[in-house]
Amino acid sequence: MDIGTLIAGVLTLAILSFLYRDNPFYKFAESLLIGVSIGYILVITFNNTLMALLFEPLFKESDLWLIIPLLLGLLMWGRFHKKTAFLSRISIAVMIGSGAGVAIPAMLKERTLKQMSNTVVSLVNASGMPDFTGIIVILGVISYFYFSREQKGALGKIAKVGTYFLMIFFGTTFGYTVMSRMSTFIGRMEFLLSDFLKLIH
Amino acid sequence: MKHLKSRHWIFLGLFLVIGITMILNVKLNVRVSPYTQKMFDYIDSLPPGSILLISFDHEASSLPEIRPLALAVLRHAFKKDLRLIGVSLLSEGTVIGYRLMQKTAKEYHKVYGKDYVYLGFRPQYVAAILSMGESLKETYPQDYLGNKYDQLNLLKSVKNYNNIDAVISIADGSLTTHWIEYGHGRYGVKILGAVTAAMVTTYDPYLASGQMYAMTGGLRGAAEYEELLKISGGGARGMLAQSSAHLYVIFLIIVGNLSYFITKRKGRK
Repeated sequence: MDIGTLIAGVLTLAILSFLYRDNPFYKFAESLLIGVSIGYILVITFNNTLMALLFEPLFKESDLWLIIPLLLGLLMWGRFHKKTAFLSRISIAVMIGSGAGVAIPAMLKERTLKQMSNTVVSLVNASGMPDFTGIIVILGVISYFYFSREQKGALGKIAKVGTYFLMIFFGTTFGYTVMSRMSTFIGRMEFLLSDFLKLIH
Repeated sequence: MKHLKSRHWIFLGLFLVIGITMILNVKLNVRVSPYTQKMFDYIDSLPPGSILLISFDHEASSLPEIRPLALAVLRHAFKKDLRLIGVSLLSEGTVIGYRLMQKTAKEYHKVYGKDYVYLGFRPQYVAAILSMGESLKETYPQDYLGNKYDQLNLLKSVKNYNNIDAVISIADGSLTTHWIEYGHGRYGVKILGAVTAAMVTTYDPYLASGQMYAMTGGLRGAAEYEELLKISGGGARGMLAQSSAHLYVIFLIIVGNLSYFITKRKGRK
């Protein structure tokens, strides 16, 4: 068994020991995981972002346009002092402004308009007849989220139908999430039983 | 034994159920879903030499679930002699993606730079996706190993998404949504997803609307993909354990409900 497998196996057992109760082995493994993760992210970000996209092109290839993002980045450090804190707002304003400018039209189009149009189109099936199942689901769910009137009478009944469909959706999502977590555990068990303990091949 | 509480017994039971079923190593028959079939058929239909961009958009914590799925998709692509460009939009997925590509490339005797390249991580995923749509070279002046873009044979004919047949986002979160919104929405590139089971319902509406072309999900998706490829991998091996674990959870739900109603009835008396 190589040293990497041995360390991974021992740390997996240390993490799983939390299922019994909190203990020093778990604390150690947890702290190590956080420390290694942060260190790794820092190195990857520095090499792949600051070095590859900023310092190397700016200082080696003299791409002077990069002085602008460098300055914006440096302004963020102004937050460390009360007198210069306002400078960071310039960088934040650029970041939020450009981010919102890019995100809002895209999200409106892709998440809202396209999804709405697909929902409406799907209400008529291939033979041109209305799809009653779709109509019931949509009316029910939308009624449930209509809060301008008290949900009683006909509106209340339709909203109740919507609640059932919402529950089906939440149930499905929860089921998939359980499946996902089980898969993660199975993956670790496979590692423990095959690579670490050599019980299965 | 006195120290053990009810939750400990539940965990111990799950540990035994999964452990024993894994040691038994019985392979279950897996019925392939239309989702996975569509994804498989698309990759299978691509002519040799087609280029796929594989984006490793996941963290290390989801590796047990993502790994079999990613391996199955990569094996299929290499088996079909497709050319692959690997990227990562989450820093934690960077090395994982590289290792997975390296492992599968070795199995199919693929050459780095000619059959596959790995460009590595770029932060700010929205900016990265948009930037790749304009120029892959501007986004990645060099690959993960430090080679200049122009030195890599595979990349010489690749300017942006126009030269890529599809993007496969291997994800454990909502990053595939950004590929759909910006990659597909703005540049029209085909998006395929290999996602964790927890994310399947999130992407279902995009699949129904055609914004996402195909998707396979979770360990089950990996098992289905392995079935189509006629290979044995982590997905197929985990199916008996997963089915048994689900039965165990259903058993616990029934026991929990029964005990609740019995306690309630006793309380009334």
